[in-house]
Amino acid sequence: MQEAIPYKSYSTTRATAVGSRSPLLNFLGGGGGVVANGSESSIRKLVEENAVVVFGRRGCCMCHVVMRLLLGHGANPVVCEVEEGKEEAAIGELSRIGGGGGGDGGGGGGIQLPAVFVGGKMFGGLDRVMSTHISGELVPVLKDAGALWL
Amino acid sequence: MDFPSTQFVPSRMMGTYEPIHQIGMWGENFKSIGNPSISASVIVEVDNKLENESETASHEMPVPSCKHDQEASKPFDKIQRRLAQNREAARKSRLRKKAYVQQLESSRLKLIQLEKELEQAREQQGLYIGGGLEAGHLGFSGVVNPGIAAFEMEYKHWMQVQNRQLGELRTALNAQISDIELRIVVENGMSHYFELFRMKSTVAKADVFYVMSGTWKTSAERFFSWIGGFRPSELLKVLVAQLDPLTDQQIFEVCNLKQSCQQAEDALSQGMEKLQETVSATLAAGQLGQGTYFPQVAMAMEKLEALVCFVNQADHLRQETLQQMSHILTTRQAARGLLALGEYIQRLQDLSTLWATHPREPA
Repeated sequence: MQEAIPYKSYSTTRATAVGSRSPLLNFLGGGGGVVANGSESSIRKLVEENAVVVFGRRGCCMCHVVMRLLLGHGANPVVCEVEEGKEEAAIGELSRIGGGGGGDGGGGGGIQLPAVFVGGKMFGGLDRVMSTHISGELVPVLKDAGALWL
Repeated sequence: MDFPSTQFVPSRMMGTYEPIHQIGMWGENFKSIGNPSISASVIVEVDNKLENESETASHEMPVPSCKHDQEASKPFDKIQRRLAQNREAARKSRLRKKAYVQQLESSRLKLIQLEKELEQAREQQGLYIGGGLEAGHLGFSGVVNPGIAAFEMEYKHWMQVQNRQLGELRTALNAQISDIELRIVVENGMSHYFELFRMKSTVAKADVFYVMSGTWKTSAERFFSWIGGFRPSELLKVLVAQLDPLTDQQIFEVCNLKQSCQQAEDALSQGMEKLQETVSATLAAGQLGQGTYFPQVAMAMEKLEALVCFVNQADHLRQETLQQMSHILTTRQAARGLLALGEYIQRLQDLSTLWATHPREPA
């Protein structure tokens, strides 16, 4: 039985809004962790310590779609909401971490939000999640990263 | 007419005095307007009128029992005053009527002008669009969006190529051509659909609501519209029924594909709902009813940009589903599948035409 990694990481990150969410909500909502700053160390830590991390703008509807897809498979993605104005810094850091990681990451050099990291590596945006979801490749990738228990 | 001379003379005298007095007044009025020549003609007119009226007045005037001059002149005075007021009122009324008629005339001319412009705009539209497509996209300015105009021409051409390709598929399936050749026909068919998705992506940037409304499609197709096109899962249902016999492995894979498709559609639909909530909340922020609202509208517009992403993602889903199906099926099955899909859409279009021409009972 694998450890519930997402929950363990909350206590170590400088999450500002996590405390406001009830534990029950976290359980049901599936890792709706909120990290409001895009500082390098917190991003790196999130990526390293969690099987699936989704980086997106606050209130982004595309992010919502990605979450729905991942949750539908039983994964428990951690969401990192990038603040307005901090987007460029966040994307820069993500590019540094993700460079060389899987598939057609950001489409021609630039990472776009929402961005999904699986198993510590850059996976892609909504496009890639959608393609792999339809082709059936997504589930094995999630399993390999330890995001699924079944 | 026999009048007592005593009464006749004063009235006559009064008759002659009055016009001079009145003309004096009106002369002043006209002088202030700055046109003394008018006053002369008016005076003549007035003089004649006065003479006529004073004669009739004298007919109707009650014969005063008292022969006192002042008393005799009082009612006469009043009547003269009233007559003058009536004349003035009548004159003003005539002027008002004249102004009103002039206003009507100029409005009529303006209306004719507007109708002409509308006619011209309609003709211009006819140049851009092949017959049968609606004019729901003129927008406020009445000018056709060039992106939309370009798309509609391309789409017309796309449909022609589509119908031709369906004919080729029919022929290819009936003839005994090799799998390799059939594969080429299938690939052409697939590429043709991908071309449509590219076209839609371009016009979505010009006007996403145009794509969302499905104006470019026939009415029955619009009935099935989901984020600017068909639901992939619905088309899969239609397809699968046409593709017997499938191997067990194929049935298993198609079932998986159907499920994945459904999940993806649900995810996108939920995303759309969230977008609606966001736009609505943004628009309604602050107090409604104060009158100033531009910041909210501007912010809502920013959020609405996400709609373009949704249209692109929905088309991406359609494309991926098509691709996956072509991987699961054999070449021959894929060819039959494309043909079935094409004919299904043709039937929908025929349904639209039939519906439009079908006589209905008057309301």
